[in-house]
Amino acid sequence: MATLLAPAGSPEAVQAALDAGADAVYVGLKGWSRGGARGELTWEELVASQRRAATAGRELQVALNIIPKPPERARLFERVPPLLDLGIRTLIVNDIGILAMLRGRFPALHLTASIGCGAQTIADVGLFRDLGAHAVVLPGVVGPEEVGEMGTVPGIALEVMIHMVEEFVLLGKCWMPSHIHLKPSPLPTDPQGFALPEGAERGLRQTGSMKRGGVGACFKICQQPWELFQGDRRMDRRLLPSRQISRAAEVGAYVAAGADVLKLQGRSLPPELLGPLVRRYRNALDGRMGDAGTANRAAELPAAWTVVGR
Amino acid sequence: MARQMNADGSDGIEDRGVDAFELNTSIANLRDLLASDLSAYDAVYLGDIYCRLYEANFLERPEDLREGLRILRDQGKRAYLTTYAAPRNDFLPRVRKMLEVAAGAGAQAVEVHNLGILKIAHEEVPGLPIHVGGFANVYTDAGVDVLRGFGAVRFTPNYELSLDEIREILATSGAAMELLVHGKMPLGISDYCFLLEYEEKWGIKCPDLCQKDLFLKQGDWAMKTVGKGILSGKDVCMLEHLPLLLADGHRHFRIETVSETPAYRREVGAVYREALRRAAEEPFRQEERWWDVVRAHARIGVCNGFYFGKSGMDYAGIRPDAAGSLLTISPSAG
Repeated sequence: MATLLAPAGSPEAVQAALDAGADAVYVGLKGWSRGGARGELTWEELVASQRRAATAGRELQVALNIIPKPPERARLFERVPPLLDLGIRTLIVNDIGILAMLRGRFPALHLTASIGCGAQTIADVGLFRDLGAHAVVLPGVVGPEEVGEMGTVPGIALEVMIHMVEEFVLLGKCWMPSHIHLKPSPLPTDPQGFALPEGAERGLRQTGSMKRGGVGACFKICQQPWELFQGDRRMDRRLLPSRQISRAAEVGAYVAAGADVLKLQGRSLPPELLGPLVRRYRNALDGRMGDAGTANRAAELPAAWTVVGR
Repeated sequence: MARQMNADGSDGIEDRGVDAFELNTSIANLRDLLASDLSAYDAVYLGDIYCRLYEANFLERPEDLREGLRILRDQGKRAYLTTYAAPRNDFLPRVRKMLEVAAGAGAQAVEVHNLGILKIAHEEVPGLPIHVGGFANVYTDAGVDVLRGFGAVRFTPNYELSLDEIREILATSGAAMELLVHGKMPLGISDYCFLLEYEEKWGIKCPDLCQKDLFLKQGDWAMKTVGKGILSGKDVCMLEHLPLLLADGHRHFRIETVSETPAYRREVGAVYREALRRAAEEPFRQEERWWDVVRAHARIGVCNGFYFGKSGMDYAGIRPDAAGSLLTISPSAG
């Protein structure tokens, strides 16, 4: 049976997701997740959230999905033993190098190749399996038929982000923001109280870099109106196309195709919006769509359910 | 499967001296190849990585690819196949076919931007050297190590990386790197071609739409659109920094021309050929006529900020005035 993986950007959101029926919840640890500071938990919040999830018999997953520079990479690895001690078993990562290194150093970890890894084909799934990923996240643009093909790859779980914003440019393949404005900024103070070696720099969050860790401040370049020119002639004023993907009506098809996890985007959502969203997909997954028959009509979603900060 | 081996080493250059380098470019179809004077180049990547519907894309036409490879071979060029940057399952049979064609027709390497295609190339055409392209997201030495395990021998680091970061990767891994030295930098790729919305309105059909000179502008920001692909509006320009690149040990240089005219390809290529030959000399003497060419072809201006730890659209150097760039920073500030 597929499981439902919900986002949370605060301890209150973790609780809302659990109350609404999420089988697992993913969060970011302050300074080390691609979601940006807005949707990250402090170490103390993470400890409390893990306690709540464990008490409820659910899983808390942690996104460590920035790509630190080599000097900072060692500090990222220092975070892992305390996470394991806490009972965290699944980390979500965004880079093949980090994935392979974590695989080698921490065999007990379950590693998920994040949506930013850009997997969209059966061959991609096979590669991440070969690298030792336990799961790979596919964007919701990948349909049940394609998932069915990918499900023939043994040894790796398929997660489908069935509620997400599809921006014009594919996740993990966009450096428009940093082209316009790259603004490295210091990483937050260490959330676990690790002391820095003498003389060591705190490290930089590459704000503006979607892939490396600044998605929380990607400046929304793609959501601004653009003037379209042919040569010197102005042809149009327009937005780049994007859409809210909400495939609740196809939950059954995805499960039948072999999706192991149905994942929701939205670490920026407040608890009062996240709860109903998770409940909608819980109902869909449990086959109780009769009283939620509008679930497939994305246009009827509350505007606030549109994910604005991933 | 018969295949002509890469005669001068897996990374294309056996001689590591500063006077040995590879200048390469990219061409999408046979028509452009036939129209291009490639005398400035050592190697060419064949194919358009963005769209299966690009006019007569080498990546969809086995006979054209064979002919393209033959033409390059007859001209004494190294001939490479490139591949799609964002494939879906239904692309893969064609990808496999073209890999087979390329290997059989003497391609000397394949460029991959997608990790699944890397796996396919490694397993199914194991004798074909693999170059990792800019969309594959090589950010660290750890990434290089992983990709080497799948047969990769040359790496284009992600365009966001600075020369300092690339230097660290090179120092740690010793891997051959390929750097974009001129042309419009790929900034993103989509599953969706929004230009199709204009077929009726403009009376121009696919595949002609994306070959128009189309730019998206927002104030002084500009990006070139080729439908599914977004490129920088400004041309990356590392002309005045070539001695630095050679001193760093780089030997593979790309002028991105897949969306440019044959005249651009010929004239900019000639400038860089001459400049690279001269870049090993002390002092590096630049010609004003080089900048005349750059200025003539870079309508929006030039940029190179990523290489110096800045925003990509910035320009570091002393010559931005020559090409209309508004932003100037000192390279040493990076």
